[in-house]
Amino acid sequence: MGKSEVLKTFQEVIEGPRNVYLDEWVRAGGKVMGYYCSYIPEEIFTAAGFLPYRIRGAGSEDSSDGDAYMSARVCTFVRHTISLALRGEFDFLDGVVLLQNCDHIRRAGDLFVKKVKLPFYSMLSVPRAPKERLFDWYLSELKRLKAEIEAHFGLTITDQKLEEAITLHNATRERIQRLYEMRKKDAPPITGEEALTVTIAAHLMPRDQFNASMDNLLADLENARVGDSYRARVIIIGGELDNPEYIAGIEQQGALSVAEVVCFGQRSFGELIPSGADDPLERIARHKFFQVPCARMVECFDDQVSVLKTTVREFSADGIIFQRMKFCDPWAGDGHNLYWRMKEEGIPFLGLEREYLVPSSGQVKTRVQAFLEQMGK
Amino acid sequence: MSILGKERKEDWEVVYEGATGLIDLYKEDPESKGMNGIVRGFRLFMDGLFQAIDEGRPIVWHNCGCSPELIRGLEGVQTMPIELLTVLQDLVGEVDYTVALIDEAEAHGVAPEVCSIDKAAVGAVLKDLYPDPDCMLYHNTPCDSQIAAIKCLTALTNKPMLLMDVPYLSGDREVKYLAKQFREAIPFLEEHTGRKFSWERFREVCEESNRTAEYLRDWNELRRHKPCPQVSKLVALNTALLVAFSGDHEGTAIAKAFRDEAKERIERGESSVEGGELYRAVWYQDPLWWDLQFYDWMESELRLVIPMDLFGYYAPEALIDTSTPESMLEGLARKDLRVLPMSRQFKGPVDNFIDDYLRLCSDYQADFGIFAGHVACKHGLGGIGLFREASREAGIPLLYFEFDMFDPRVTPVESIQDDIAHFIEDVVRPRKEAA
Ligand code: SF4
Ligand code: SF4
Repeated sequence: MGKSEVLKTFQEVIEGPRNVYLDEWVRAGGKVMGYYCSYIPEEIFTAAGFLPYRIRGAGSEDSSDGDAYMSARVCTFVRHTISLALRGEFDFLDGVVLLQNCDHIRRAGDLFVKKVKLPFYSMLSVPRAPKERLFDWYLSELKRLKAEIEAHFGLTITDQKLEEAITLHNATRERIQRLYEMRKKDAPPITGEEALTVTIAAHLMPRDQFNASMDNLLADLENARVGDSYRARVIIIGGELDNPEYIAGIEQQGALSVAEVVCFGQRSFGELIPSGADDPLERIARHKFFQVPCARMVECFDDQVSVLKTTVREFSADGIIFQRMKFCDPWAGDGHNLYWRMKEEGIPFLGLEREYLVPSSGQVKTRVQAFLEQMGK
Repeated sequence: MSILGKERKEDWEVVYEGATGLIDLYKEDPESKGMNGIVRGFRLFMDGLFQAIDEGRPIVWHNCGCSPELIRGLEGVQTMPIELLTVLQDLVGEVDYTVALIDEAEAHGVAPEVCSIDKAAVGAVLKDLYPDPDCMLYHNTPCDSQIAAIKCLTALTNKPMLLMDVPYLSGDREVKYLAKQFREAIPFLEEHTGRKFSWERFREVCEESNRTAEYLRDWNELRRHKPCPQVSKLVALNTALLVAFSGDHEGTAIAKAFRDEAKERIERGESSVEGGELYRAVWYQDPLWWDLQFYDWMESELRLVIPMDLFGYYAPEALIDTSTPESMLEGLARKDLRVLPMSRQFKGPVDNFIDDYLRLCSDYQADFGIFAGHVACKHGLGGIGLFREASREAGIPLLYFEFDMFDPRVTPVESIQDDIAHFIEDVVRPRKEAA
């Protein structure tokens, strides 16, 4: 399979709540565990024999079911996902795991418990600062989750299974890293819209099948180039973004996205989890807890900035486009701080606000054009 | 105007003058012990803050999710809630000044959906109205908007900051987790203030905090009395008392004034409503702070009284056990997790939020509930569907509207008045008459 076939497959995977791989998995009697956030390690689910499935709102025509329970001041990502859940469109899930990553998701958790009522539910309490002094608590939360899954489903998640899960997920990380390496080229072989399609798909299908498709894709990308006709290279940052169409709107204006440091993008993968003789769960926990921090985390802004600066440099980006879901408070703090810090650093920065499932509006397009002009592109 | 012999910035002059004017007003009225107590407390807090600035004493900022006892364990350190100026401006000053701070923050790039009190705190820093902190001790509660503010303030001041991670639940495991962080915060506070933490002093602070708590618990009990003995607006002010004065003898004095006033008025058979109360409601989520006269209007025009609200409720959890350093840290952690209004209800599962409401409605014999949905409280607004269902099941009529508790521009007072008046007329009165 070449680039276009693989991308077509991934596009189908991300279209709605279900996809053929998932259906096949379920038909074969496989269990599926839903989850919301990058601070929840998929490796635990894989080690339990489940398919990890990251919850999105794709395929939601409207958020009316969610709107009946939540005010319009809750972000549309949450209202769409909860609408799907309330309509039973996540009924293939055997359970769901959340964390208190924001006030909106916390309330989604309440609706999962009281209205959606999947067979298994767990809410993790993840510390809001990625600091060594809080790491033990995070690890103990993962241990609690593991024990809850074991007790509920009557299974044992052995260290051996965790090691195998690390190997499988590392294989994905390694492939995503190769994909991102290629994007550093003068003429990257893939657009941001396509790359985000790839990274989203990884969250929704069995990893061995994803990895195999990636091998085909990577082989074909060796000689591809798409980046010639763009006026500028940008990195796209922020929180929730699982809508490649949104990036397409930006790219149509001439700003090629060369890296997406967003949930569902590069931030969900990171470096490989190291091998070693010590407890695999602890290695998984360290990897997740000390990943590139998201805006819900405090006491780490300089780390976030330093990652962004490195990314800008390594990917030869001309500027940063920051996107934030309307009503999202965690990213509101970062939006303010990043704007001023990037000004200080001399890195062109454009802040955009968006609604879930809405492609780039005319206003976004105009602002991107203005941004390109401002960068002299 | 000169405050403690010095000219201060205009915003501070306005609140200082406002507090002074209200003290004069209430002084004439022996029936207003509670209001007099808290307004006097506000002015004393400002005096203390200005004195600390003048003397060059260390100042530690904290947020409204943080009860300040631990910081008071350091001799001579002044605590300062980041919400201070907004609260004072809305309660005793002029709300236009708050509005200006909100606009300042938004103009600087803080998103409009961030809570107005948090935006105003950023505005106050941008306008250089706050004394520089030596360090900041924050709690990640009650909400995400506070996280946004904390991050902005840290970036703007570039001062050392430590976050106390308040977990999702509030059981014994969580108490120990938070207490351990408090222990770790002590060297941080010592290092940045240059002052020593004293366990003896901390014990005195915790004992003082307990005295305040006991008065507040008595006061909560007394307000159950029918008719409600005291004006509605007092309940809205209790959280300000706890955040600013916990562990300070002034806090105890205010709580005692609340309690004494309620007790004496019950003894004299007095009601807060002239002509007698007709309706009782639990006001939930956030009070209307930019117009306290609104509460007077409810009493005089509708004969409606608010015997209790979320900010006034002092949950009857254990007092701080002062027998050992560990028991004190755990006691304080328990207070932050399970007692402090907002932190108690707004974090964790929605049951924390709904169960307290239902309990208050029952304990205070409410005819109905008013869900005053402060637009920034997404945790509350995100739970509104479940909240409504629970109210329906309990048979308690619920009025819901959205407004901004610090910014009068979002929903005008007339609109809120109309909502309440119509709700009583259309729902509450017929129901009472039929009963
Ligand atoms: S976009 Fe923001 S508000 Fe929405 S779920 Fe994510 S962190 Fe929460
Ligand atoms: S009022 Fe609501 S949004 Fe504002 S700081 Fe408090 S909890 Fe947060």
